[in-house]
Amino acid sequence: MKLYHLVLKDILRRKKRVLYAALGIVIAAMTVVGILTIATAGQTKIYAQLEKYGANLNVIPAISNIDMTLGDLSLGALTVGENYIPETKLIEIRQIADGMIRESLGIEDDGYIATIAPKLYINTQVKSTSLLAVGVEPNEERAIKTWWEIREGEYLEEGDYALLGAQTAQLLDLNIGNTISLNGREITVTGILEEAGSSDDYQIFVPIKILQTVYGKEGIVSSVDIRALCNACPVELIADGINQNITGVRAVAVKQVAESEMGLMEKMNNFMLALAGITLVIGAFGVVNTMMTSVHDRIKDIGIMRAVGASRNQIIKAFVYEAIIIGIIGGIFGYVAGTLVAYVVGPLVFEGAAINYVLQYLPLSLFLSIFVAIISTAYPAYRATTIRVSDSFRSL
Amino acid sequence: MLEIKNAYKVYGEGDAKIVALNNVSLHVNKGDFIAVMGPSGSGKSTLLNVIGGLDRLSGGEVVLDGQRIDNLNENALVEIRRGKIAYVFQQYHLLTSLTAGENVLLPLLFRGSDSESLDKAADILRVIGLEKRAKHKPRQLSGGEQQRVAIARAIVNNPSLILADEPTGNLDQQTGAEILSLFSQLNKEGLSIIMVTHNPEVAAHARETIFLEDGLIVDRIEQKRRLPNPNIH
Repeated sequence: MKLYHLVLKDILRRKKRVLYAALGIVIAAMTVVGILTIATAGQTKIYAQLEKYGANLNVIPAISNIDMTLGDLSLGALTVGENYIPETKLIEIRQIADGMIRESLGIEDDGYIATIAPKLYINTQVKSTSLLAVGVEPNEERAIKTWWEIREGEYLEEGDYALLGAQTAQLLDLNIGNTISLNGREITVTGILEEAGSSDDYQIFVPIKILQTVYGKEGIVSSVDIRALCNACPVELIADGINQNITGVRAVAVKQVAESEMGLMEKMNNFMLALAGITLVIGAFGVVNTMMTSVHDRIKDIGIMRAVGASRNQIIKAFVYEAIIIGIIGGIFGYVAGTLVAYVVGPLVFEGAAINYVLQYLPLSLFLSIFVAIISTAYPAYRATTIRVSDSFRSL
Repeated sequence: MLEIKNAYKVYGEGDAKIVALNNVSLHVNKGDFIAVMGPSGSGKSTLLNVIGGLDRLSGGEVVLDGQRIDNLNENALVEIRRGKIAYVFQQYHLLTSLTAGENVLLPLLFRGSDSESLDKAADILRVIGLEKRAKHKPRQLSGGEQQRVAIARAIVNNPSLILADEPTGNLDQQTGAEILSLFSQLNKEGLSIIMVTHNPEVAAHARETIFLEDGLIVDRIEQKRRLPNPNIH
């Protein structure tokens, strides 16, 4: 028989009391795990939104500005115009982007890394309505606009084909198979996009080579979207690299926008963690209280143990073992309860966020719970050892 | 082996002051079996508590095997309780969550001598006639059986002195007599026993009886005639 057998047997005898003591820890651990799980889901959602931004970098001519319209509808200003980027610069842009990604992530592969999607914007008229025709590299554009969904027909292919934004198709009353005339060239509508809630809805997409030929813009593009392959990619460095080495263009890292959003998220996380910390402290007080009661309940047992040779350290050890068991129970149930709370509350906090249990929070929950349980037990345990043995019997 | 010199103990202060032991001196030799009698509040239990270090003296000395133990720190007292002195209480004081066998093992557990313990507990339970009750919890045992377990627990560490506080106080006469004969047997084997009792018949089992009143030893008799002093209640 070992000391922990003694503690285990004692705990089994006092199941209800021990569970009550564990309840304080459960609530504390539940709050911490719940908050962290919700925060993780929120972060994942924001990352997913960042993905939806598509390009991590936007390269435009150094000076350009144009108002975007569809019919009488003003769609704000778009940074295009008479200034263009020569297609030859695409190679330099790729070299800088890929080079920097390779350097920062330690990739030695020779292939293309970043997706580089050049665009040509042309204000044109279709069925007497002015709209924006966008020349794109079909494959690159698809890689960048992962959220694009085809409502009808199929995705854009090289050739005299067009892909319409949802609003464009509706306003111009165009369907799959219809033809439109772009500067006199007959283009067949082969696909219509689902509504995306962005300016894409009002545009018409045509392979860039066709648009360049039709409007006499061979060898030039209006802007370039660059998508690095990861969230950790050094987009600011790439932007700086492009701005310093390529004249006539301006690169903007989209991540800068995202970062302010992440900063806000981090502040909220900190606030929620502070809240969790306070709950943890309150939980600890609850445990101290229950442990005090537990000590009082066992004054006689402690007296007996000391009368038959238990040292103060052994009594404290017995209480610490009990604390560890309470901590383990509290940690496990707190993790489960916290995860369940996150599943219920999470979607209310971050609309539409997918809550997933985070297994790494189980050891965290266990560690926190055991830590709090031991800390809260230390004082009652110390008290237990200061009771005089004769008093412990007399008090009965 | 045990020398109590001018033991003095007070509880409380001022008007509430109670003198529990008033310059008690007592000499206990190896193999002695001493009964301590006296009315309630005469200081019997206090005497036992200060001998075993469960309570501190206000004055005087307790010397065990040449070593003064009344002024030892807690850790040193633990060592005394693990080896030299053991207790038997009126209420048995067994841990209710443990079986009889485990209760007997308890002193060995705290002493850290675990390996031989199971055999030893079994041996001792056999000696006191409870080997079949080893796996029973205290509440499943009769009072006499519980007290036997408590005695087994007291002797498992081979102490030289047992301090017994009203060991038969909760038992019927026959069971009490069985417990006392167990004590007598252990005493014959060389164990010293100091036993507090208010019952003259119980005290008659001891070799010597001392009488306490208001913290003072008022009388002591050798138990040759094995009858209580009629003047003492």
